Amino acid sequence: MRSLPFASALFVPALAGMFFVGAVRADDTQVIEPEVARRDVQVTHIPSNDVEMGLFTGTYDTQNFGTNLVGGLRLGYHITEDVFAEAVYGQTKVSDQDFRLILPGGIFPQPHETLRYYDVSAGYNVLPGEVFIGRTHAKVSAVYLIGGVGITKFDGANHETVNVGTGMRVFLADWVSLQVDARDHFLSLNLLGQRQETQNLELTAGVTFFF
Amino acid sequence: MANLRAILTALPLVLLAVPLARAQDAVAASAAPQAKPPSDDGLQRVQVADPYVEIRTGPGRGFPITNVAKKTEWLVIEIRHTDWFKVRTEAGKEGWVDRVQMENTLTEAGAKTSFRDVLVDDYLRRRVEFGGAWGHFSSDPVLKLWTSYNVTEIFAIEGAVGQVQGSYSGTNFWQIDLLAQPWADKRLEPFFGIGVGRIQNVPNASLVSAVTTNSNMANAMIGLRYHLGERFIARVDWTEYTSLVSANRTDQYHAVTAGLSFFF
Repeated sequence: MRSLPFASALFVPALAGMFFVGAVRADDTQVIEPEVARRDVQVTHIPSNDVEMGLFTGTYDTQNFGTNLVGGLRLGYHITEDVFAEAVYGQTKVSDQDFRLILPGGIFPQPHETLRYYDVSAGYNVLPGEVFIGRTHAKVSAVYLIGGVGITKFDGANHETVNVGTGMRVFLADWVSLQVDARDHFLSLNLLGQRQETQNLELTAGVTFFF
Repeated sequence: MANLRAILTALPLVLLAVPLARAQDAVAASAAPQAKPPSDDGLQRVQVADPYVEIRTGPGRGFPITNVAKKTEWLVIEIRHTDWFKVRTEAGKEGWVDRVQMENTLTEAGAKTSFRDVLVDDYLRRRVEFGGAWGHFSSDPVLKLWTSYNVTEIFAIEGAVGQVQGSYSGTNFWQIDLLAQPWADKRLEPFFGIGVGRIQNVPNASLVSAVTTNSNMANAMIGLRYHLGERFIARVDWTEYTSLVSANRTDQYHAVTAGLSFFF
């Protein structure tokens, strides 16, 4: 029985030592190993709607030939809140009926020629803001200036074109907007042997989707 | 007596065990994330770390501020439009916050998010580039549009279409080039390219008995690029086109263009 106190005296440090033995590493640098639960961090993708795609229709006035309906597609990318780039394809018909009254045979092989144009333009939102419809609705809008270069395919030949214009865009929601656009296309035509600088005015309205 | 001994042996044990247990509790407490509302439909959620962030009615710097989100408030990011993020506060108010203010918010893990910022890093890691250039193609004005894709840091594939407006004819061409840009990490860098394509020469309709030629073409290009800042790159290039018109005839054209492109 006398050995019992001695044994109990040893028992306590021995037991205490057992608490530490699992924690002390070979190089004795860390006394306690922390138990930290590993968290799974998932970085969510934030959706964006900088790319726009739209349809438009309107009137296209070919200088010397008259005005006709135009329709086309629009694809664009908004780079910053002020600057955006847009590529447009449009198609219209040109008629030389007025010339056929005076000039037998007309100018074109057929009375109606198709005019197609492609252009790439850079736009600047000069007047962004909000428009108010009635008392309770406010829609984000922007008046922009746009200018670019492109090609007009007409009368079997490609004509380099510069276009300058202005327009207004009203956002009905984040993903859809109505757009009204007025453009002037500057190109040089050589239809009757003499090169002439022409201006084709275009006025369109369209719907654009953002995604 | 026996009881006293038992207590005496047990007491140091208890005294040792208690601080150990408390240490483990403290470690566990610091590891647990702070309480947050459950996340909804997979949208990213960030916490405001600045004293407040300003919430505007539209994605632009001119729109009025109708709301603020205070520090430690959670915002759900719904969509991004250019540099503006549409967020929803805990109270359900929606509005737009600009990227600079969003950068100081913290994610659920407690770290700052790096929102897409057009820094030099973005320029160095650019993949797709769209651009247009204007210049001279054998003394006639030329308009060129291109798309390029950086396969590696040094090599890129570029597709271009071009339109030349001559006095008597129009030329249009398309080309696919392999570009080498050995100093892609410099702001002002030269690049070299070789490629093939097709070139078509369409004479004016008013000319008599003029023939449209459509032939294969090879080209070699050397150019210079300069990162203007943000997302824009200015570019100047010189290209030699060799048009293989027929078995024993080749035409040479020389083009110089200068233009602008943007990358993303």
